[in-house]
Amino acid sequence: MAARRSRALWRLSGWGWRQALLSPRLRRGSARLLSTDKPGVATHFGFETVSEEEKGDKVYQVFESVAKKYDLMNDSMSLGIHRIWKDLLLEKMHPFPGTKLLDVAGGTGDIAFRFINYIKAQNQRQRQREVKSRQNLSWEEISKCYQNVQGPSEESHVVVCDINQEMLKVGKQKAKTLGHKKGLAWVLGDAEELPFDDDKFDVYTIAFGIRNVTHIDRALQEAYRVLKPGGRFLCLEFSQVNNPLISRLYDLYSFQVIPVMGEVIAGDWKSYQYLVESIRRFPPQEEFKEMIEDAGFQKVTYESLTTGIVAIHSGFKL
Amino acid sequence: MATLSRLSRLWGLRPRPRLGTPRPASDSATLPGGRSTGLGLLYPGHIPTSPLQKMLLAAGAACMALYDPYRHDMVAVLGETTGHQALQALRDRMRRDPEGAQILQERPRIQLSTLDLNKLRTLPKGSFGWEYAHFLDVNRVSPDTRAPTRFVDDEELAYVIQRYREVHDLLHTLLGMPTNMLGEVVVKWFEAIQTGLPMCVLGAAFGPIRLSAKKLKVLVSDLIPWAVQNGQNSRCVLNLYYEQRWEQPLRALREELGITLPPTVDRGFTQSSKL
Repeated sequence: MAARRSRALWRLSGWGWRQALLSPRLRRGSARLLSTDKPGVATHFGFETVSEEEKGDKVYQVFESVAKKYDLMNDSMSLGIHRIWKDLLLEKMHPFPGTKLLDVAGGTGDIAFRFINYIKAQNQRQRQREVKSRQNLSWEEISKCYQNVQGPSEESHVVVCDINQEMLKVGKQKAKTLGHKKGLAWVLGDAEELPFDDDKFDVYTIAFGIRNVTHIDRALQEAYRVLKPGGRFLCLEFSQVNNPLISRLYDLYSFQVIPVMGEVIAGDWKSYQYLVESIRRFPPQEEFKEMIEDAGFQKVTYESLTTGIVAIHSGFKL
Repeated sequence: MATLSRLSRLWGLRPRPRLGTPRPASDSATLPGGRSTGLGLLYPGHIPTSPLQKMLLAAGAACMALYDPYRHDMVAVLGETTGHQALQALRDRMRRDPEGAQILQERPRIQLSTLDLNKLRTLPKGSFGWEYAHFLDVNRVSPDTRAPTRFVDDEELAYVIQRYREVHDLLHTLLGMPTNMLGEVVVKWFEAIQTGLPMCVLGAAFGPIRLSAKKLKVLVSDLIPWAVQNGQNSRCVLNLYYEQRWEQPLRALREELGITLPPTVDRGFTQSSKL
């Protein structure tokens, strides 16, 4: 299947095939190497081969340039389906009041805002239940309610961490527009070296971010470190399509339509070319599952959505 | 699966860059990002595209240019993706003319780095160079705002369209048209007749949509007939080596080309926002 896929790409992306042939098969290699940032060690940037130091800068530039139109482009490219994927991620997470979430590469805040709304909805439901249950109380029970001084319940909190200042700016602006103020923090940080202490968070999410990280294994190790014991790792990412017909159509759409959309809507062809190429470079579901297990997570599972265009991987720190 | 691959070849979904020895960059502009001209890239900034991509780009660019007139890059993209035949015809016209052939060989560029505006301003008033510098100052435009060519799959044609873009401001000077919407539409009409580029034709046809009724009246009654007549009568504007003609008086240059003065008073330089 992998061989067939790369042949399809060979035909469709005629200009990329030379690079794919010239550079060593880096699809899986660099991600699993326990490499340090030695200059001269090569990795992939889409279908290009670059040094590891260069990749970080180039990815930064890509997101700096797409930040303002990021949400609009997401809606255009996925025809709004990315909203459903993110909603499904939240359903899988099923947070309750008191959950502490770390959303890495969460730039424009899509996951964070959904988390806040989910918790709010839950709080509201809980309050409604309480109100209903208090309808037919006796006077004695009502007076008891006033006597019970309840301490403030644990507040849920979300930290949005992103390496890119521009993406965070857009996220903060969105938060202002939507009116989210409490329980939200914005931190500039690198997924490979998180600026947080060990055992701090209940849930760690990374949505459509991990394929842009230079050393995925380091990011996974950091995720393991900052999670509390019992904490959950959730990753929403583009993955391998399991249906061959849909795979062809998907490749066609990705390589023919998406860069054109990027040029017309955002005036940026190259960033969206990088985006579709980086999706092809990311390991498929099973392999990524193994990488997560290597980092120490247990009970690792994955769920493919939309015939495998995206997948949600989940693991626990036990 | 095999059918799909055959279909994708039929629909021309693979880009068809002219793979051969990639010719060296036509000017000294260095490449950002360090990508070299090789691997099917014919010139700095070249993005090879398949015919399907060109069609989608042309349609998208046309819609976006109408929706948001400030997206000049979309007009440029439209020109590049639809202009193949017109560019070939233009290039052939240039080859047949001695001055045009010299331009094709030497590949001069009109950029701030190659242009000395201060020197142009010191030229005698009424000379072409002085008028051009004056036009840039009054309208507050710079010769460097032209986007580089990306989607043309032939290196010489990429230069031709780049030259056409860089000559555009000079055309404003020659025709005495300001850079407001009306002036741009008139220049587009002139260019449409001269070059035959689909982008110019579309711009000429759809540009007037955004004009007020009064301006539209002036346009249709006076300016368009004048632009069309001049476009047909004058020499091909791409065949002039402008860089060698800065000292030439503008009047003499206009006579040589066969361009008459615009019908309304030449207000292009004093009242740039009116007309």
